[in-house]
Amino acid sequence: MIEVKELKKSFGELNVLKGINTTFEVGKTNLIIGQSGSGKTVFMKCLVGLLEPDSGGVFFDKNNFTLMNEKQRTKVRKKMGMLFQGSALFDSLTVEENVVFPLEMFNKDMTRKEKLERAHFCLDRVNILDANHLYPAEISGGMKKRVAIARAIANKPDYLFCDEPNSGLDPQTAIVIDRLISEITKEFRITTIINTHDMNSVMEIGDHVIFIYKGNLWWEGSSDEILTTGNKEVEDFVYASELVRKLK
Amino acid sequence: MILFIKLFKESAFFAWGSVVANKLRTLLTLLGITIGIFAIISVFSVVDALEKSIRGSIASLGENVVYIQKWPWEFGSDYPWWRYINRPTPRVSELDEIMRRTQILDAVVFTASTSRTVEFGNRSMERITILTASHDYDKIRSFEIGNGRYFSPTESFNGRNVALIGANIAQNLFNEVDPVGKIIKIFGRNIEVIGVFTQEGDDIFGNSHDDLVLLPVTFVNSFIDVNSDRYNPAILAKGRENFDNDELIDELRGTMRSIRRIKPTADDNFALNQASLLSTQFDNVFSVLKIAGWIIGGFSILVGGFGIANIMFVSVKERTNIIGIQKALGAKNYFILFQFLTEAVLLSLMGGIIGLVMVFGISWLATSILGMNLMLSMKNIMLGINVSVIIGLIAGFVPAWSAARLDPVEAIRTGL
Repeated sequence: MIEVKELKKSFGELNVLKGINTTFEVGKTNLIIGQSGSGKTVFMKCLVGLLEPDSGGVFFDKNNFTLMNEKQRTKVRKKMGMLFQGSALFDSLTVEENVVFPLEMFNKDMTRKEKLERAHFCLDRVNILDANHLYPAEISGGMKKRVAIARAIANKPDYLFCDEPNSGLDPQTAIVIDRLISEITKEFRITTIINTHDMNSVMEIGDHVIFIYKGNLWWEGSSDEILTTGNKEVEDFVYASELVRKLK
Repeated sequence: MILFIKLFKESAFFAWGSVVANKLRTLLTLLGITIGIFAIISVFSVVDALEKSIRGSIASLGENVVYIQKWPWEFGSDYPWWRYINRPTPRVSELDEIMRRTQILDAVVFTASTSRTVEFGNRSMERITILTASHDYDKIRSFEIGNGRYFSPTESFNGRNVALIGANIAQNLFNEVDPVGKIIKIFGRNIEVIGVFTQEGDDIFGNSHDDLVLLPVTFVNSFIDVNSDRYNPAILAKGRENFDNDELIDELRGTMRSIRRIKPTADDNFALNQASLLSTQFDNVFSVLKIAGWIIGGFSILVGGFGIANIMFVSVKERTNIIGIQKALGAKNYFILFQFLTEAVLLSLMGGIIGLVMVFGISWLATSILGMNLMLSMKNIMLGINVSVIIGLIAGFVPAWSAARLDPVEAIRTGL
């Protein structure tokens, strides 16, 4: 579980985050949405420790990450899985080796066999075990995303941070990837936080959605509630497309 | 380890891509290392060739041979010639005394030399070195006789008018005719040629049997005074195998002082020279030359090192994203450090190897076209490679360190 308490961040005169309070629960996919410039990227950076907040704190399982020293933060980071925009696989490594990489780096106690077994398990979970000896250049964008997910969960993370996980994918594949993340989140009881613009993702897997507007947590709720919130700014964002307006 | 090699391969590919995309930048970067290694290794190769030649020449003088002479072999502007000018020269008569009084000698020989015209029929050669030596000359100086034979003891001791001639003299004076048994004229006297030395080629001191005529000292001494200073007389003494040069010198010093009846408090009035003295003198010269090579190449390598450091900083900047992802996935600092260090070393090595190839090419040209004995030795190749690796390590360390010290969340910074 990740708790955010009175998180504030400003750059000079510009107040980007104006005191955000929320809780991301275990086993739920938490989506951060908002217009460009709303502050959601700064919020995400504060969550993972890239930016230091001016005040307030981020608590990972009750421990204040903001007050931790570098050694303590490293321990917490070991529990973080990262799903980068564009997959960010190593081109010279096979699919299997990409998944083994974080195991090699973090788990000195595991034998090579155990690492391979874990990698195969993760690849199997994302339904791509057959491609384990292929190189990233030899697989599709959707498959790359699956490998990236397998790599992100290889170290059995407690927290999974995803940055635009379905960017660059066709709508069908994007839904498959979204569902996969959601399934894994529930299956392994991970606290997943996804930064996205995609309303399809919101509707598909949004257990908990927070809408950031002008540096404030403007609205939060589930994907079911977002369509009927009555909040003008949220509705402007949700019904931005002409098609969705007509559907409404 | 396999993973590291593969990741390193990715780095190398990235670096290679950067190298190919920025050919001019890379060329200019590597030029410093290339020129540096070229300068150092070519100077070292020339020095080695020179050293080999000089040491070979010194060895031909006999490493365990002591030259009893009037003048010591010394170098420098402060040579105290006035102390030696009035010394007596070694004499033929002293040869017998030395042989009689010294127990540790394998051979001892008296030599003197001059230059004269050598005639055969209507042909003649001017200013030919006439070396005159006692019988054991062949035990002290190594040579081969290609045609004919060496002096017999009787010819040596009785002073017969016989001669051994050098290969060049045989060629120029006799052309196609077999010289052995022919009569040549030197000092206005008829002398029978009994042997021809095998062609040796010149050494660095010009010590070769190719252009000289060797005569028995007893013969020459019968009409000129070979003990005279102008014939550069010397007694060459070779110690037995189980005695070292210091013992030999001590023994000879005592014997000579006794023969010449020098008072205990008086200085020697002779010089005991040995080839190792020359070696020591040349060691200093070679050291200076090598230092010069290091200085010339060192500056170039310094510039090259800065170039490599520069290209590595650019490389780190360009790959911040990859470094960040690796670190975000748990890569340790040393893992990143080692990747970039290896890349810097590879770049430097590339420059060094180009430099070595240039030295090899020039050595090959010098050897095959100019006939010089210049060779790129394995020792110098290893030296060039080691210097390149060390420069790569030094130049790459700061950029690699900065890459390794990048904030682990850089990946997220670039990703979000």
